[in-house]
Amino acid sequence: MQLQSAVHEVADMMAAQEYFHSRKWTDGLPIVPPTAEAVQACLEWAMVPPDHLVGVEPVRARAITAEKLAINAVMAGCLPMHFPLVVTAFTAMLQPEFLLHGCTSSTGGCAVLSVINGPTRQELGMSGSFNALGASDRATMAIGRAIRLALYNLMDVRPGEVDRSTLGHPGKISYCVAEDEENTTWASLAAERGVPDGASAVTVFAAGAPRQLMNEWTTEPAQILDTFVAEIKATMLHYSIWSGNFAIVVPPQLRAHFEGAGWSKADIRQYVYENARVTRGDWAKCGKGMVVDDRASDEFAALPSPDDLLVIAAGGPAGGFGAVIPPWFGWKSRAVTVAVGACLDCEA
Amino acid sequence: MTIQVLDPTYGQGAAPFQLAPRLHGLKGKTVGLISNGKRGTQPFFAAMERQLLADVGVGRVVLMTKANYSAPAEQRILDAVVGWDAAFAGIGD
Repeated sequence: MQLQSAVHEVADMMAAQEYFHSRKWTDGLPIVPPTAEAVQACLEWAMVPPDHLVGVEPVRARAITAEKLAINAVMAGCLPMHFPLVVTAFTAMLQPEFLLHGCTSSTGGCAVLSVINGPTRQELGMSGSFNALGASDRATMAIGRAIRLALYNLMDVRPGEVDRSTLGHPGKISYCVAEDEENTTWASLAAERGVPDGASAVTVFAAGAPRQLMNEWTTEPAQILDTFVAEIKATMLHYSIWSGNFAIVVPPQLRAHFEGAGWSKADIRQYVYENARVTRGDWAKCGKGMVVDDRASDEFAALPSPDDLLVIAAGGPAGGFGAVIPPWFGWKSRAVTVAVGACLDCEA
Repeated sequence: MTIQVLDPTYGQGAAPFQLAPRLHGLKGKTVGLISNGKRGTQPFFAAMERQLLADVGVGRVVLMTKANYSAPAEQRILDAVVGWDAAFAGIGD
Protein backbone atom coordinates (compact mmCIF):
# COMPACT_ATOMS: atom_id res chain seq x y z
CA MET A 1 0.00 0.00 0.00
CA GLN A 2 1.22 3.49 -0.84
CA LEU A 3 2.12 6.00 1.82
CA GLN A 4 -0.53 8.69 2.12
CA SER A 5 1.34 11.55 3.79
CA ALA A 6 2.09 14.74 1.93
CA VAL A 7 5.60 14.99 0.50
CA HIS A 8 7.81 18.06 1.01
CA GLU A 9 11.03 18.74 -0.84
CA VAL A 10 14.04 20.27 0.89
CA ALA A 11 17.43 21.19 -0.50
CA ASP A 12 19.62 19.10 1.78
CA MET A 13 20.06 17.78 5.32
CA MET A 14 20.55 21.20 6.89
CA ALA A 15 17.58 22.63 5.02
CA ALA A 16 15.50 19.76 6.36
CA GLN A 17 16.37 20.81 9.91
CA GLU A 18 15.23 24.37 9.38
CA TYR A 19 12.13 23.20 7.52
CA PHE A 20 11.05 21.05 10.46
CA HIS A 21 12.05 23.54 13.17
CA SER A 22 10.24 26.41 11.51
CA ARG A 23 7.01 24.41 11.41
CA LYS A 24 7.30 23.26 15.04
CA TRP A 25 7.56 19.67 13.87
CA THR A 26 10.47 18.90 16.18
CA ASP A 27 11.42 19.44 19.79
CA GLY A 28 14.43 21.69 19.37
CA LEU A 29 16.81 18.88 18.51
CA PRO A 30 17.77 17.86 14.97
CA ILE A 31 15.75 15.19 13.21
CA VAL A 32 16.49 12.43 10.77
CA PRO A 33 14.64 13.36 7.56
CA PRO A 34 11.67 10.98 7.25
CA THR A 35 12.04 9.73 3.71
CA ALA A 36 9.60 7.27 2.21
CA GLU A 37 12.29 4.59 2.18
CA ALA A 38 13.05 4.97 5.88
CA VAL A 39 9.38 4.99 6.81
CA GLN A 40 8.64 1.93 4.68
CA ALA A 41 11.51 0.11 6.37
CA CYS A 42 9.94 0.72 9.79
CA LEU A 43 6.54 -0.49 8.61
CA GLU A 44 8.02 -3.60 7.02
CA TRP A 45 9.97 -4.44 10.15
CA ALA A 46 6.81 -4.20 12.24
CA MET A 47 4.84 -6.00 9.52
CA VAL A 48 2.05 -3.43 9.50
CA PRO A 49 0.56 -1.60 6.51
CA PRO A 50 0.73 2.21 6.47
CA ASP A 51 -2.97 2.54 7.26
CA HIS A 52 -2.84 0.14 10.22
CA LEU A 53 -4.94 1.76 12.92
CA VAL A 54 -2.91 1.81 16.10
CA GLY A 55 -5.79 3.38 17.98
CA VAL A 56 -8.07 6.37 18.28
CA GLU A 57 -7.50 9.11 20.82
CA PRO A 58 -11.02 9.44 22.18
CA VAL A 59 -11.18 13.08 23.27
CA ARG A 60 -10.10 14.56 19.95
CA ALA A 61 -11.20 11.58 17.86
CA ARG A 62 -7.80 11.32 16.22
CA ALA A 63 -7.03 8.08 14.45
CA ILE A 64 -3.34 7.23 14.87
CA THR A 65 -1.97 5.23 11.97
CA ALA A 66 1.24 3.25 11.71
CA GLU A 67 2.44 5.46 8.85
CA LYS A 68 2.31 8.62 10.92
CA LEU A 69 3.95 6.94 13.89
CA ALA A 70 6.71 5.63 11.64
CA ILE A 71 7.42 9.09 10.24
CA ASN A 72 7.87 10.44 13.76
CA ALA A 73 9.93 7.44 14.80
CA VAL A 74 12.35 7.98 11.92
CA MET A 75 12.61 11.66 12.83
CA ALA A 76 13.48 10.70 16.42
CA GLY A 77 16.34 8.49 15.28
CA CYS A 78 14.65 5.11 15.48
CA LEU A 79 15.94 2.22 13.45
CA PRO A 80 13.30 -0.04 11.89
CA MET A 81 13.89 -2.60 14.63
CA HIS A 82 12.89 0.00 17.24
CA PHE A 83 9.54 0.73 15.63
CA PRO A 84 7.46 -2.16 17.04
CA LEU A 85 8.04 -0.74 20.51
CA VAL A 86 6.78 2.68 19.43
CA VAL A 87 3.63 1.04 18.08
CA THR A 88 3.22 -0.93 21.30
CA ALA A 89 3.72 2.13 23.49
CA PHE A 90 1.10 4.07 21.56
CA THR A 91 -1.30 1.12 21.65
CA ALA A 92 -1.01 1.25 25.43
CA MET A 93 -1.27 5.04 25.59
CA LEU A 94 -4.50 4.98 23.58
CA GLN A 95 -6.29 2.74 26.08
CA PRO A 96 -9.04 4.72 27.85
CA GLU A 97 -7.60 4.20 31.33
CA PHE A 98 -4.40 5.99 30.32
CA LEU A 99 -6.38 9.22 29.70
CA LEU A 100 -3.87 10.40 27.11
CA HIS A 101 -5.40 13.79 26.43
CA GLY A 102 -5.66 14.61 30.12
CA CYS A 103 -2.13 13.68 31.06
CA THR A 104 -0.49 15.32 28.05
CA SER A 105 -2.45 18.57 28.28
CA SER A 106 -2.38 19.04 32.05
CA THR A 107 -0.60 21.86 33.80
CA GLY A 108 0.86 19.08 35.97
CA GLY A 109 3.60 18.52 33.40
CA CYS A 110 4.10 14.78 33.41
CA ALA A 111 5.81 12.77 30.68
CA VAL A 112 5.06 9.32 29.31
CA LEU A 113 7.50 6.87 30.89
CA SER A 114 7.91 3.64 28.93
CA VAL A 115 9.32 0.57 30.66
CA ILE A 116 10.59 -2.14 28.31
CA ASN A 117 10.62 -5.82 29.24
CA GLY A 118 11.42 -9.07 27.50
CA PRO A 119 13.91 -10.35 24.96
CA THR A 120 13.57 -7.30 22.73
CA ARG A 121 15.77 -5.38 25.19
CA GLN A 122 18.79 -7.48 24.37
CA GLU A 123 17.99 -7.66 20.68
CA LEU A 124 17.96 -3.86 20.54
CA GLY A 125 21.00 -3.36 22.76
CA MET A 126 19.03 -1.67 25.50
CA SER A 127 20.70 -1.22 28.86
CA GLY A 128 19.05 -1.14 32.24
CA SER A 129 22.36 -0.49 33.94
CA PHE A 130 24.47 2.69 34.06
CA ASN A 131 22.50 5.92 33.78
CA ALA A 132 19.29 3.89 33.43
CA LEU A 133 17.02 6.93 33.77
CA GLY A 134 19.13 9.11 31.51
CA ALA A 135 20.43 8.50 28.01
CA SER A 136 21.53 4.93 28.71
CA ASP A 137 21.58 3.72 25.11
CA ARG A 138 20.47 4.44 21.57
CA ALA A 139 17.26 2.41 21.52
CA THR A 140 15.66 3.71 24.71
CA MET A 141 16.62 7.28 23.82
CA ALA A 142 15.19 7.09 20.30
CA ILE A 143 12.01 5.25 21.31
CA GLY A 144 11.31 7.71 24.12
CA ARG A 145 11.83 10.63 21.78
CA ALA A 146 9.65 9.04 19.11
CA ILE A 147 6.77 8.96 21.57
CA ARG A 148 7.24 12.63 22.34
CA LEU A 149 7.54 13.71 18.70
CA ALA A 150 4.45 11.71 17.80
CA LEU A 151 2.55 13.51 20.55
CA TYR A 152 3.80 16.80 19.11
CA ASN A 153 2.79 16.12 15.58
CA LEU A 154 -0.24 13.86 15.86
CA MET A 155 -1.90 15.34 18.96
CA ASP A 156 -0.51 18.91 18.86
CA VAL A 157 1.06 18.35 22.28
CA ARG A 158 3.51 21.21 21.88
CA PRO A 159 4.31 23.67 24.66
CA GLY A 160 1.64 26.33 24.75
CA GLU A 161 -0.65 24.41 22.41
CA VAL A 162 -2.22 21.25 23.83
CA ASP A 163 0.70 20.90 26.26
CA ARG A 164 -0.22 23.34 29.04
CA SER A 165 2.50 22.20 31.46
CA THR A 166 3.52 24.83 33.96
CA LEU A 167 7.01 23.33 34.31
CA GLY A 168 7.24 19.96 32.65
CA HIS A 169 10.43 18.00 33.27
CA PRO A 170 13.42 16.67 31.30
CA GLY A 171 11.74 13.30 30.81
CA LYS A 172 9.60 14.98 28.20
CA ILE A 173 12.50 14.78 25.78
CA SER A 174 12.74 11.03 26.17
CA TYR A 175 11.63 8.84 29.09
CA CYS A 176 12.24 5.19 28.47
CA VAL A 177 13.95 2.54 30.58
CA ALA A 178 14.70 -1.11 30.01
CA GLU A 179 14.40 -3.27 33.09
CA ASP A 180 17.60 -5.06 34.14
CA GLU A 181 16.10 -8.54 34.01
CA GLU A 182 19.39 -10.38 33.76
CA ASN A 183 20.82 -9.20 37.07
CA THR A 184 17.94 -9.97 39.37
CA THR A 185 16.01 -12.91 40.73
CA TRP A 186 12.83 -10.85 40.64
CA ALA A 187 10.00 -11.33 38.18
CA SER A 188 9.94 -8.63 35.52
CA LEU A 189 7.47 -5.77 35.68
CA ALA A 190 5.68 -7.12 32.62
CA ALA A 191 5.46 -10.64 34.10
CA GLU A 192 3.98 -9.20 37.28
CA ARG A 193 1.41 -7.43 35.13
CA GLY A 194 0.32 -10.57 33.31
CA VAL A 195 2.53 -10.75 30.23
CA PRO A 196 3.54 -14.36 29.44
CA ASP A 197 7.16 -15.49 29.77
CA GLY A 198 9.18 -14.95 26.64
CA ALA A 199 7.07 -12.07 25.37
CA SER A 200 8.33 -8.52 25.17
CA ALA A 201 6.17 -5.71 26.47
CA VAL A 202 5.89 -2.00 27.08
CA THR A 203 4.40 -0.47 30.21
CA VAL A 204 3.43 3.18 29.88
CA PHE A 205 3.01 5.40 32.90
CA ALA A 206 2.06 9.09 33.06
CA ALA A 207 4.91 10.08 35.28
CA GLY A 208 6.50 12.94 37.09
CA ALA A 209 10.26 13.41 37.26
CA PRO A 210 12.29 10.78 39.13
CA ARG A 211 13.13 11.71 42.74
CA GLN A 212 16.48 10.20 43.66
CA LEU A 213 17.15 8.90 47.15
CA MET A 214 20.08 7.22 48.92
CA ASN A 215 20.45 4.79 51.79
CA GLU A 216 23.85 3.12 52.07
CA TRP A 217 23.76 2.69 55.83
CA THR A 218 21.66 -0.42 56.28
CA THR A 219 21.12 -3.81 54.72
CA GLU A 220 17.69 -4.28 56.26
CA PRO A 221 14.98 -4.36 53.56
CA ALA A 222 12.39 -2.63 55.73
CA GLN A 223 14.77 0.22 56.54
CA ILE A 224 15.69 0.66 52.90
CA LEU A 225 12.01 0.75 52.00
CA ASP A 226 11.40 3.32 54.72
CA THR A 227 13.57 5.68 52.68
CA PHE A 228 11.49 5.00 49.56
CA VAL A 229 8.33 5.45 51.62
CA ALA A 230 9.57 8.76 53.02
CA GLU A 231 10.12 10.02 49.47
CA ILE A 232 6.66 8.88 48.40
CA LYS A 233 5.10 10.60 51.41
CA ALA A 234 7.04 13.77 50.62
CA THR A 235 5.70 13.93 47.08
CA MET A 236 2.18 13.22 48.36
CA LEU A 237 2.43 16.23 50.63
CA HIS A 238 4.42 18.54 48.38
CA TYR A 239 2.67 17.69 45.14
CA SER A 240 -0.44 15.52 45.08
CA ILE A 241 -2.01 13.57 47.90
CA TRP A 242 -4.13 11.39 45.64
CA SER A 243 -3.38 7.71 45.36
CA GLY A 244 -2.40 6.06 42.11
CA ASN A 245 0.40 4.15 40.49
CA PHE A 246 3.85 4.94 41.82
CA ALA A 247 7.06 3.48 40.43
CA ILE A 248 10.23 2.76 42.35
CA VAL A 249 13.52 2.03 40.64
CA VAL A 250 15.88 -0.25 42.56
CA PRO A 251 19.50 -0.55 41.37
CA PRO A 252 21.70 -3.61 42.09
CA GLN A 253 23.35 -2.46 45.32
CA LEU A 254 20.05 -2.06 47.14
CA ARG A 255 18.47 -4.91 45.22
CA ALA A 256 21.06 -7.30 46.61
CA HIS A 257 19.85 -6.62 50.14
CA PHE A 258 16.26 -7.45 49.23
CA GLU A 259 17.15 -10.53 47.24
CA GLY A 260 19.58 -11.74 49.92
CA ALA A 261 16.84 -11.48 52.51
CA GLY A 262 14.33 -13.25 50.27
CA TRP A 263 12.14 -10.21 49.57
CA SER A 264 10.22 -10.42 46.31
CA LYS A 265 8.64 -7.54 44.44
CA ALA A 266 5.32 -8.61 45.98
CA ASP A 267 6.81 -8.23 49.48
CA ILE A 268 8.03 -4.75 48.57
CA ARG A 269 4.68 -3.75 47.16
CA GLN A 270 2.88 -4.92 50.28
CA TYR A 271 5.26 -3.03 52.59
CA VAL A 272 4.97 0.19 50.62
CA TYR A 273 1.19 -0.16 50.45
CA GLU A 274 0.97 -0.48 54.22
CA ASN A 275 3.40 2.30 55.06
CA ALA A 276 3.18 5.00 52.40
CA ARG A 277 0.35 6.92 54.02
CA VAL A 278 -0.14 10.49 55.16
CA THR A 279 -2.91 12.34 56.89
CA ARG A 280 -4.57 15.45 55.67
CA GLY A 281 -3.24 17.17 58.78
CA ASP A 282 0.33 16.57 57.53
CA TRP A 283 -0.34 19.24 54.93
CA ALA A 284 -0.09 21.84 57.68
CA LYS A 285 3.63 20.99 58.04
CA CYS A 286 4.40 22.03 54.50
CA GLY A 287 2.48 25.24 54.03
CA LYS A 288 -0.88 23.78 53.00
CA GLY A 289 -2.72 24.26 56.27
CA MET A 290 -5.48 26.16 54.50
CA VAL A 291 -6.83 22.98 52.93
CA VAL A 292 -6.70 20.72 55.98
CA ASP A 293 -10.21 21.86 56.98
CA ASP A 294 -11.67 19.85 59.85
CA ARG A 295 -10.41 16.56 58.44
CA ALA A 296 -6.87 16.50 59.81
CA SER A 297 -7.07 12.83 60.77
CA ASP A 298 -8.22 11.62 57.34
CA GLU A 299 -5.65 9.12 56.05
CA PHE A 300 -4.50 8.92 52.45
CA ALA A 301 -2.65 5.91 51.04
CA ALA A 302 -0.22 6.37 48.19
CA LEU A 303 -1.42 3.17 46.55
CA PRO A 304 -5.03 2.05 46.04
CA SER A 305 -3.71 -1.52 46.33
CA PRO A 306 -0.27 -3.21 46.55
CA ASP A 307 -0.48 -4.08 42.87
CA ASP A 308 -0.37 -0.40 41.96
CA LEU A 309 3.31 -0.08 42.79
CA LEU A 310 5.55 -0.59 39.76
CA VAL A 311 8.84 -2.06 41.00
CA ILE A 312 11.56 -1.67 38.38
CA ALA A 313 15.00 -3.27 38.61
CA ALA A 314 17.39 -0.86 36.91
CA GLY A 315 20.52 1.14 37.52
CA GLY A 316 24.29 0.84 37.53
CA PRO A 317 26.08 -1.66 39.74
CA ALA A 318 27.44 0.68 42.40
CA GLY A 319 25.69 3.12 44.67
CA GLY A 320 23.00 2.81 47.31
CA PHE A 321 20.62 4.92 45.31
CA GLY A 322 17.05 4.46 44.23
CA ALA A 323 14.29 6.54 42.74
CA VAL A 324 10.63 7.19 43.25
CA ILE A 325 8.64 8.17 40.19
CA PRO A 326 5.30 9.71 41.14
CA PRO A 327 2.16 9.59 39.04
CA TRP A 328 0.91 12.57 37.08
CA PHE A 329 -2.13 12.96 39.27
CA GLY A 330 -3.26 10.05 41.37
CA TRP A 331 -5.62 7.63 39.76
CA LYS A 332 -6.71 9.79 36.84
CA SER A 333 -4.30 7.97 34.55
CA ARG A 334 -3.42 4.33 35.10
CA ALA A 335 -0.31 2.50 33.96
CA VAL A 336 -0.99 0.21 31.02
CA THR A 337 1.07 -2.80 29.89
CA VAL A 338 0.82 -4.21 26.38
CA ALA A 339 2.78 -7.11 24.89
CA VAL A 340 4.67 -6.38 21.69
CA GLY A 341 2.60 -7.63 18.78
CA ALA A 342 -0.60 -7.84 20.79
CA CYS A 343 -3.79 -6.66 19.14
CA LEU A 344 -6.11 -5.38 21.81
CA ASP A 345 -9.15 -4.90 19.60
CA CYS A 346 -8.84 -8.02 17.48
CA GLU A 347 -11.47 -10.70 17.83
CA ALA A 348 -10.27 -13.96 19.34
CA MET B 1 20.48 16.72 -4.42
CA THR B 2 17.14 17.45 -2.82
CA ILE B 3 15.49 15.28 -0.18
CA GLN B 4 11.84 14.36 -0.24
CA VAL B 5 10.45 14.09 3.28
CA LEU B 6 7.05 13.01 4.56
CA ASP B 7 4.74 15.25 6.53
CA PRO B 8 4.78 14.12 10.21
CA THR B 9 1.59 15.88 11.28
CA TYR B 10 -1.92 14.57 11.69
CA GLY B 11 -2.83 16.66 8.71
CA GLN B 12 -6.55 16.06 8.52
CA GLY B 13 -7.74 19.25 10.14
CA ALA B 14 -10.07 19.66 13.05
CA ALA B 15 -13.52 18.14 13.03
CA PRO B 16 -16.01 20.72 11.76
CA PHE B 17 -18.28 22.44 14.24
CA GLN B 18 -20.64 25.37 14.20
CA LEU B 19 -21.02 28.11 16.75
CA ALA B 20 -24.44 28.43 18.34
CA PRO B 21 -26.38 31.60 17.43
CA ARG B 22 -25.19 34.56 19.50
CA LEU B 23 -27.48 35.98 22.19
CA HIS B 24 -28.42 39.65 22.36
CA GLY B 25 -28.48 39.53 26.15
CA LEU B 26 -28.78 37.26 29.15
CA LYS B 27 -31.92 38.74 30.73
CA GLY B 28 -34.38 35.99 31.58
CA LYS B 29 -32.17 33.34 30.05
CA THR B 30 -31.02 30.03 31.48
CA VAL B 31 -27.27 30.07 32.00
CA GLY B 32 -25.17 27.05 32.83
CA LEU B 33 -21.89 27.12 34.70
CA ILE B 34 -19.61 24.12 34.18
CA SER B 35 -16.98 23.73 36.86
CA ASN B 36 -14.01 21.50 36.17
CA GLY B 37 -14.33 20.34 39.79
CA LYS B 38 -11.39 22.16 41.29
CA ARG B 39 -11.85 23.75 44.67
CA GLY B 40 -11.20 27.27 43.37
CA THR B 41 -14.29 27.20 41.17
CA GLN B 42 -16.63 27.00 44.15
CA PRO B 43 -16.40 30.57 45.47
CA PHE B 44 -15.84 31.99 42.00
CA PHE B 45 -18.93 30.43 40.46
CA ALA B 46 -20.99 31.13 43.59
CA ALA B 47 -20.18 34.82 43.23
CA MET B 48 -20.82 34.66 39.50
CA GLU B 49 -24.21 33.08 40.06
CA ARG B 50 -25.20 35.86 42.46
CA GLN B 51 -24.03 38.50 40.02
CA LEU B 52 -25.78 36.94 37.04
CA LEU B 53 -29.07 36.78 38.94
CA ALA B 54 -28.90 40.14 40.71
CA ASP B 55 -27.07 42.39 38.25
CA VAL B 56 -27.67 40.86 34.84
CA GLY B 57 -31.23 39.60 35.32
CA VAL B 58 -30.53 36.03 34.30
CA GLY B 59 -33.64 33.89 34.78
CA ARG B 60 -31.97 30.75 36.05
CA VAL B 61 -28.44 29.59 36.75
CA VAL B 62 -27.54 25.91 36.64
CA LEU B 63 -24.22 24.86 38.15
CA MET B 64 -22.77 21.52 37.08
CA THR B 65 -19.44 20.04 38.06
CA LYS B 66 -17.34 17.59 36.10
CA ALA B 67 -16.39 14.39 37.90
CA ASN B 68 -12.86 14.44 36.46
CA TYR B 69 -11.28 17.78 35.67
CA SER B 70 -8.81 16.20 33.28
CA ALA B 71 -11.44 14.53 31.13
CA PRO B 72 -14.20 15.92 28.91
CA ALA B 73 -17.62 16.74 30.37
CA GLU B 74 -19.73 13.67 30.99
CA GLN B 75 -22.83 12.86 28.97
CA ARG B 76 -25.15 14.05 31.78
CA ILE B 77 -23.64 17.54 31.41
CA LEU B 78 -23.83 17.47 27.61
CA ASP B 79 -27.49 16.44 27.88
CA ALA B 80 -28.20 19.34 30.22
CA VAL B 81 -26.45 21.89 28.02
CA VAL B 82 -29.11 21.38 25.36
CA GLY B 83 -31.62 23.14 27.62
CA TRP B 84 -29.44 26.19 28.34
CA ASP B 85 -29.26 29.48 26.47
CA ALA B 86 -25.63 30.09 27.38
CA ALA B 87 -22.83 28.33 29.20
CA PHE B 88 -19.65 29.32 30.99
CA ALA B 89 -16.86 26.83 31.61
CA GLY B 90 -14.17 27.50 34.14
CA ILE B 91 -11.11 26.01 35.76
CA GLY B 92 -10.23 26.48 39.40
CA ASP B 93 -6.44 26.56 39.59
